[in-house]
Amino acid sequence: MKRLGWISSFAVLMMALVLIVVPMLDKSAVAGRPAAVEIKIDNFSFVPPTVTVKAGTQITWTNKDDIPHNVVSEDKSFKSKVLDTDEKFTMTATKPGIYTYYCSIHPKMTGKLVVEQ
Amino acid sequence: MNPFNLKSALLAKHAQHVVLIHFPIALFLAGTGFDVAASWTKQTVKSATIKSAARINIFAAAVFVVPTIVSGFLAWQWALEGEKLHGLLLLHLALACTAGIMICLVALLQWRQQGKPGTSSNCCLALELLTAGILALAAHVGGFLSGVNG
Repeated sequence: MKRLGWISSFAVLMMALVLIVVPMLDKSAVAGRPAAVEIKIDNFSFVPPTVTVKAGTQITWTNKDDIPHNVVSEDKSFKSKVLDTDEKFTMTATKPGIYTYYCSIHPKMTGKLVVEQ
Repeated sequence: MNPFNLKSALLAKHAQHVVLIHFPIALFLAGTGFDVAASWTKQTVKSATIKSAARINIFAAAVFVVPTIVSGFLAWQWALEGEKLHGLLLLHLALACTAGIMICLVALLQWRQQGKPGTSSNCCLALELLTAGILALAAHVGGFLSGVNG
């Protein structure tokens, strides 16, 4: 009976440890990982049209439209190939600034990327 | 953009292709329509008049094929910097070039038949209808790419 009590106490202690340590481990893992943002291309628009990110953030554009599109920044600092449906373009925003971009096949499609320090 | 600002309209790069493309499509389809009507008409004089209208439309379509194809290639260079095409864009290019060549071929056949009454063959009409089909398909893909048929 006394042995069962010890085992129960040990199990409770271990569970408590797991509950405390695991979230901390998870947080440290997220903190070490670069942040990522996804922008969808759908129905002839970039969604969301304006995105604000920290420098070092990875940005992925995914074409969810039936029609090919591309992503070209006005200052030509980034440019994707033509993306067919479900194709992605990923780039890392390193330099702070405001980047206006568009689809060169459909120039009325525009978006804005704000990169903060 | 102000639609009456000529400078902005002319410098709108690949927008020219979207404007020019309507001319060969409309002219060729009208020409084919007149040719079909001419083949159904029993009266010889009326048929010859409709046939002339068909020829004029087809010749004009062949003339417009050149700037349309050129503006299409320029659009590819300006908008995509000559990037290797695939998917719908490649399909549009292939269909449009085929349709363009066939329009010129039909115009050449019409030119050779000019002034030779009774030489209009069913074969030429069949080629016109086939060309109209390919042209319609190229136009549909083009419209889909520009978002008009989306």
